[in-house]
Amino acid sequence: MKLMIFLFSLIVLSVAPFIGETPLQIGKIFDPNAMEHLLFWDLRLPRVGAAFFSGAILALGGMVFQAVFRNSLTTPFTLGVSSGATLFTAIGIVFLPTSLIALSSLFSFAGAFSTVLLLFLFARSLRAEQTNSLLLIGIALSFFYSAALMVVYYLSDLEQSHSIIRFTMGSLNVVRVQKVYPLIAAALILLGVVSRYKKELKLILTSYENAFLKGIEIKKITLILLLVVSLSVGVSVSIVGPIGFIGLVIPHIIRLVYKKSSEKLIIAVFYYGGVFLVLCDLIGRNLGAVSEVPIGVVTSFIGGPFFIYIILKRRRTDG
Amino acid sequence: MKLHVDNITTSYLRDISFELENENVVVLGSNGAGKTTLSKVIVGLETHDNVIYDGERVSELGAARRSEALNFIPSKLEVFDEYIDVEEFLGLSLLNGSDQSTMESVMKRLGIEHLKNSSCKAISSGESQMVLFASGLLHNAALTIFDEPTANLDSDKKIKVYETLKEHPGWKMVITHDLNLAYQLGYRILYLQQGELIYDGNCEAFFASENLERLFGNSIKRVEGYFMVNYR
Repeated sequence: MKLMIFLFSLIVLSVAPFIGETPLQIGKIFDPNAMEHLLFWDLRLPRVGAAFFSGAILALGGMVFQAVFRNSLTTPFTLGVSSGATLFTAIGIVFLPTSLIALSSLFSFAGAFSTVLLLFLFARSLRAEQTNSLLLIGIALSFFYSAALMVVYYLSDLEQSHSIIRFTMGSLNVVRVQKVYPLIAAALILLGVVSRYKKELKLILTSYENAFLKGIEIKKITLILLLVVSLSVGVSVSIVGPIGFIGLVIPHIIRLVYKKSSEKLIIAVFYYGGVFLVLCDLIGRNLGAVSEVPIGVVTSFIGGPFFIYIILKRRRTDG
Repeated sequence: MKLHVDNITTSYLRDISFELENENVVVLGSNGAGKTTLSKVIVGLETHDNVIYDGERVSELGAARRSEALNFIPSKLEVFDEYIDVEEFLGLSLLNGSDQSTMESVMKRLGIEHLKNSSCKAISSGESQMVLFASGLLHNAALTIFDEPTANLDSDKKIKVYETLKEHPGWKMVITHDLNLAYQLGYRILYLQQGELIYDGNCEAFFASENLERLFGNSIKRVEGYFMVNYR
């Protein structure tokens, strides 16, 4: 099973840049004068890269949130972090002068970050076992943000509201490799930090009390982990938009396949998160005849039913 | 090593003070008397400035130093990740000189080797209590507090825990409401009632019949050196 999935993932990664509206031939991509060269190096490859590293960030970020908040339904998405980023980006799109529109990615990051700070504040007044309450707070925040987003829509002109809609659906249409660099950096920082705290993560996966008693500086470490996740999710949202459900679906599937505790699955979750988004993008790009299906739509169509499945299954095991 | 609990008052505890110097102790008290709260305060799980370990406030001990000094074994095993098995869980307690071979001998001594590869979430409450007990021995802190170590155990396992407590050289605080266990251990006794420390003294004086009657009325009956609940 594991080998099959791995082989399949290799196939997905290697064919992804070649399949699309215009099929590419391997020979021509190394010819600097061919149109295929531009298409491959400036469009397809950055896009696959953006998909891979965003997927990796969202999946690993989801796994870390689930461990730290001790609830299998918490992800940066379900806690409202992505909605915060989206709202702030929309504010950027509407209120920034056209010349400064590039700054909207900073807004997105600020949105993600301030939401995490808010969650921290709320979490401090909750007891450790009240993770369901935190989840409800996340949902309330998401509602609040979508209402605020409506206000921003209302204030925007036609062109602006179109950009907002496109942004909220998520898009991997990145042009040029340079745009992918921040994503790669954020993904590798996340991977590095989480791997560095592997042992601490394992203790957190037993219980907070146990981790505390075994000599872990529990507050410091959860803070570092949550900050690095929100930082990388902020970067990801600012570049490809909010893409839901990966942080929920991938850690669960990987756990079911590998049957190991999460701290042993850091690399696997990172890698398959990336592959999953590349695959979803491949489907989205090639499904619609006229134009591509937005990536957020594809992942939500797959993730929504899965989310419900997890809740039903949880109810069975938890009584 | 010395533990000084100085005038602790929380929402469950009232003016608790005592001193221990490398001396094993049993904490007795009915449900809700504040036994578990007291132990959480001692190990720092609940922060309080008036707990002094070897001249330092527990609330100010560094994380690593604290794990050498104090450990608390709860009465229920809590593990979030269902794929952590017993061996991995115990592996996290290999501190203060314990290693893989200590772990194997402790598991053997307690008769839990067969659980090695079972998920911590799939074992019975008695088995998980044995696993927790094993983790306390392996962690080997200077002072270990065992919260109700025999509460869910069948008689064979109770005897095993009792024997291991007796032979384990470390400094221990045992919380229980099993009077027979307390009597057999013979340690100094602290008796809590509704958050107040109402007895602090040796085992013999605690189990003298006047004292028992004073604390328990006629709900406990002594029969040939054993203490029975008097159902009448």
